[in-house]
Amino acid sequence: MDAVYSQYAWLIPLFPLLAFVILVSMGRHMKTLGAYTSIIAVAISFVLSILLFAERMSGDVNDYAWNGFTWVAGGEFTLTMGFEINNLNALMLLVVTLVSLLVNIYSKEYMRDDERINVFYAYVSLFTFSMLALVMSENLLQLYIFWELVGVCSFLLIGFWYYKPEAKAAAKKAFIVTRIGDVGLFIAILLLFWYVPNHALDFSSIHNAVETNQIPAGVLTLIALLIFIGAIGKSGQFPLHTWLPDAMEGPTPISALIHAATMVAAGVYLVARTYDVFTPEALTVVAWVGAFTAIFAATIAVAQNDLKRVLAYSTISQLGYMMMAMGIGTAAAYAAGMFHLFTHAFFKALLFLGAGSVIHAIQKQDIREMGGLGKTMKVTMWTFAIGTLALAGLVPFSGFWSKDAILTEAYDHHPALFVVGLIAAFFTAFYMARLFFLVFAGEKRSEYKAQENNGWMTVPLVILAVLAVVSGFVHMPNLPWLGEWLTGASMADHTSWLVIVLSNIVAIAGLLLGWTMYGKKPVAEDPLSAGVPQLYRLLNRKYYIDEIYHALFVVPLRAIGHVLQLIDSYIVAGAVNLVSGTVLLVGKGGRRAQNGQVQTYGLITLLGFIAFVVLIVGRRYFHVG
Amino acid sequence: MLDSLPLLTLITLSPLLGIIVLLFIPKDNGKWIKFVGIAATIIPLLLCLGLYAAFDRGASDMQFKDEFSWIKVPLNQEWLNETVDSYFYELKFTLGVDGISLPLVLMTALIVLMAALAAVHIKKRWKAFYIWFLILQIGMFGVFLANDLILFFIFFEITLVPTFFLIAIWGYKDRERSANRFLIYNGVGSAIMLVAFLILVATAGFQAMETENGTQLSYSGDLAVIERNLNDDNSYANVEPLFPMANPFYMSDGLKWMLFIMLLIAFGIKLPIFPFHTWMLRVHAEAPPPLVMIHSGILLKMGAYGLIRFGVSLFPEQAQSWAMVLAVLGLINIIYGALLAFVQQEFKLLLAYSSISHMGIVLLGIAAWNEVGWQGAMIQLVSHGFISALFFLLVGVLYERTQTTELAELGGLAKSIPFASGIILVAGLASLGLPGLSGFVGEILSFIGLFGSMPVLAAIGALGIIFTAAYVLRGVLKITFGPMPDRFENIRDARFIEALPMVTLVAFILLIGIYPAVISDPMSQTIQNLMTRIGG
Repeated sequence: MDAVYSQYAWLIPLFPLLAFVILVSMGRHMKTLGAYTSIIAVAISFVLSILLFAERMSGDVNDYAWNGFTWVAGGEFTLTMGFEINNLNALMLLVVTLVSLLVNIYSKEYMRDDERINVFYAYVSLFTFSMLALVMSENLLQLYIFWELVGVCSFLLIGFWYYKPEAKAAAKKAFIVTRIGDVGLFIAILLLFWYVPNHALDFSSIHNAVETNQIPAGVLTLIALLIFIGAIGKSGQFPLHTWLPDAMEGPTPISALIHAATMVAAGVYLVARTYDVFTPEALTVVAWVGAFTAIFAATIAVAQNDLKRVLAYSTISQLGYMMMAMGIGTAAAYAAGMFHLFTHAFFKALLFLGAGSVIHAIQKQDIREMGGLGKTMKVTMWTFAIGTLALAGLVPFSGFWSKDAILTEAYDHHPALFVVGLIAAFFTAFYMARLFFLVFAGEKRSEYKAQENNGWMTVPLVILAVLAVVSGFVHMPNLPWLGEWLTGASMADHTSWLVIVLSNIVAIAGLLLGWTMYGKKPVAEDPLSAGVPQLYRLLNRKYYIDEIYHALFVVPLRAIGHVLQLIDSYIVAGAVNLVSGTVLLVGKGGRRAQNGQVQTYGLITLLGFIAFVVLIVGRRYFHVG
Repeated sequence: MLDSLPLLTLITLSPLLGIIVLLFIPKDNGKWIKFVGIAATIIPLLLCLGLYAAFDRGASDMQFKDEFSWIKVPLNQEWLNETVDSYFYELKFTLGVDGISLPLVLMTALIVLMAALAAVHIKKRWKAFYIWFLILQIGMFGVFLANDLILFFIFFEITLVPTFFLIAIWGYKDRERSANRFLIYNGVGSAIMLVAFLILVATAGFQAMETENGTQLSYSGDLAVIERNLNDDNSYANVEPLFPMANPFYMSDGLKWMLFIMLLIAFGIKLPIFPFHTWMLRVHAEAPPPLVMIHSGILLKMGAYGLIRFGVSLFPEQAQSWAMVLAVLGLINIIYGALLAFVQQEFKLLLAYSSISHMGIVLLGIAAWNEVGWQGAMIQLVSHGFISALFFLLVGVLYERTQTTELAELGGLAKSIPFASGIILVAGLASLGLPGLSGFVGEILSFIGLFGSMPVLAAIGALGIIFTAAYVLRGVLKITFGPMPDRFENIRDARFIEALPMVTLVAFILLIGIYPAVISDPMSQTIQNLMTRIGG
């Protein structure tokens, strides 16, 4: 079947780009019109994405690719730009435009009092454009370009409140830490350029080169690992996760959009899109980094007191799940990873926007100061509860289905990963219960007046809550529609009742423990910090990773810089001064010769004359030139 | 129509028009002097745009050649036999443009106009300022267009004199010492270059032509002649004599090596290559911002241009076997510059070290010794020209308002001057190689190129892009983000005359970033040709 909407898919990122251009050039004079510009642009993109998605869902349409734009060319190489549409990125387009639309609407109220609201919308539009263009990229270089652009949008939005020193530091950190990962991707591109025939970087050429064994296996693993380093940076995986919690300095809608639902998932998308190059060795690394991150971040989340940071660590942990799924290496696991990306986008966006609703109402972020908010903020509480259950992975909420799909595959192929995943799931349920009860149950622990927010904020919450329930039904153990649609492989027989039961038991256990510790009766002090203070401090300080990095990298580099500075000013410049000093000294000697005494002059003249004569006469004998 | 005009001569000499008009304006009439000074730089820009449009992208050789005999020095025929009709040295005024010089010429015209606009902050002696300024422009055009070694040298020297005065008169506190150091250091470089050029003229520049009246023997610095002689296996320069004095024009390997190294040092000082960089730190810190726009934007590029035009393309074998050395020098520049930029307390010095780091990428691109790398090196040159011009334009605007460029004293300016701060951010992002802006293109092409020949060095160099992000963000965010000192409460955002060059430069940075073919297309043929000629 001819792909009609696919051919016009380039329109999808175009509208947010237009909104960005309009907002940047005229934003100062637009007042509330700015928000509407951005909302309408992304709404159009959303509608187009639905049409595209429907077309791809309807059956066997061909993948579409266009690469008619020559970026740079020479005699022996051509770098092109274009776009491509396939099932994988059609799904991503839908998720990105939907979450972006809801966040755009939500922000109109959340950012209402900020005088730079139109700058905010400009950045959000630029981000939406870049993210859409990223998933539509037809080759790896183009993907890298937009990969960096979403990164810079993230940077700009983390630092949106630029006058706050914390926001400034967080923005800088986010940029530099993700850049470390980007260098990996950068070098992977360099490798592919020289190994893929004709210097092509588009995904189908890479696919063909791998299929026909044009790239040596060792190099292939290296490329895969380098790409994965890029994914580690972007998706906040250990050891490059440190930027993501700090990124919570940005406005909360941004945390929902960029740092939960879309950009941070780009790392998972990258692995999915370049899956061809991932050799079994590389996949093992992916799986274990993901699994370790999942459990590592989940334990840290247990002892955080900032509402958004708990969710941030949760995001890191859930992204770890996705990576783990990718690393298992089967088609069903691949589908499960993408499926988890899909459900997570909705329930984590929901949780962040719920958190934003709380923060907007009471202007506080420390959960130790909250409590009892459920009484006044009913919509927020109920939607947040749904998000909590979805994240905890309780049947029949969406998170259950996707987590179950991952755990089933892990159980079948890597029992050790399964155990890690299950333990992480327990922590997940526990920290979410802790968060929920500390915020919404009991009595308030500080002075504030809480009030439910208006429809601009609650309607997106409700829509996301509905999605957090139903989005899981697209891929169920006996009805794995999404997975089959994405991969084309049959996966109907991947059901394990044991895993279903176990994962629910673990989720309920975690929730129950959370409830007994934080929900049953009002708590004044965190029982965890009172009970096991050392452990609590270790987790609360995030295993001291930030401090370790500071001592290991920042301090030595700065020291080297200062040492080089000394070398530069004294040795390098000193050598120059020595040379010029010598010249001056010779000059002084020359000055002494010019002492005004006629005899000396005469002597020098005579010597010069003799030299001349020798030269002229000698020239005959030596015949030079 | 353009073909019939001596276009290149017109471009090179067009600033003279402005100088002549300026001579007739009373020196106190600041408004008119500035107006004429700015207007005078528009004419060469228009001519350069015409050149760009008329440039034949399919051709790889020198185009629009203007050539006439300028000085002819008869030499002593005493020792020559009667069949020789004439024996002379000829200096030809030869201009030509190819894919390598075209982008640089266009960039020169653009940046000079921007710098002329930025010079509105100059407080004294406008007339002398703009006259020196326009003379400088003549020198720069000449450098990029000259097709004769000696002519190149003359134009190269012409750029030094105005630069010296512009630093010494209009610079900051320590201006006179800096100007002296600039002149002496560059003078040393020029002297080495001159010796190398003279040896070249005396060997590869020699040609014997049969005419009706007998043999015509001549020396010349004409690039075409020298290239022809070097590439011709039967030329005097390439025929090894039986005994040393039989052919004084013979260029032995040793001589070629010596010349190549001399040129590497001469242009390395200008580029600058570590450890010859200390002079340019002072220039960055002490010269007036409009001059630094030109200095960092264009004058440094003369080093790289000279290295490519004379070092690499005249001595390809030497350069190729030293590709590794060039790459290592480039790496040192990148890492050393970045680490030092990271600890600077003063913004202009930060930018100076940043220039060292970015010029390292150019060296990497050249060292790659393939088409991709060379395109990368050239694009990096142009890109860095625009970016550093933008940065120093901003430095001028900032200093005008804050009276300081010490990082510790600045902060939070996004609040009081949001527009200028936004541009600073864009300049910073361009400098750290954000895709979509020009810095990225040169960077990735250079690295791709180098990776093809020296993957390990390229991978190490790629780590430099982390450091770049660290020092650029440190500097840029220190100025624009964070809390703002109260005394900056009431400073004004950029005026129209300041915003105009900012927006223009940003537009070009964006254009090259999004559609690099705009400069890579015209240069592609020349680079391919050069590549096949010297056997890449």
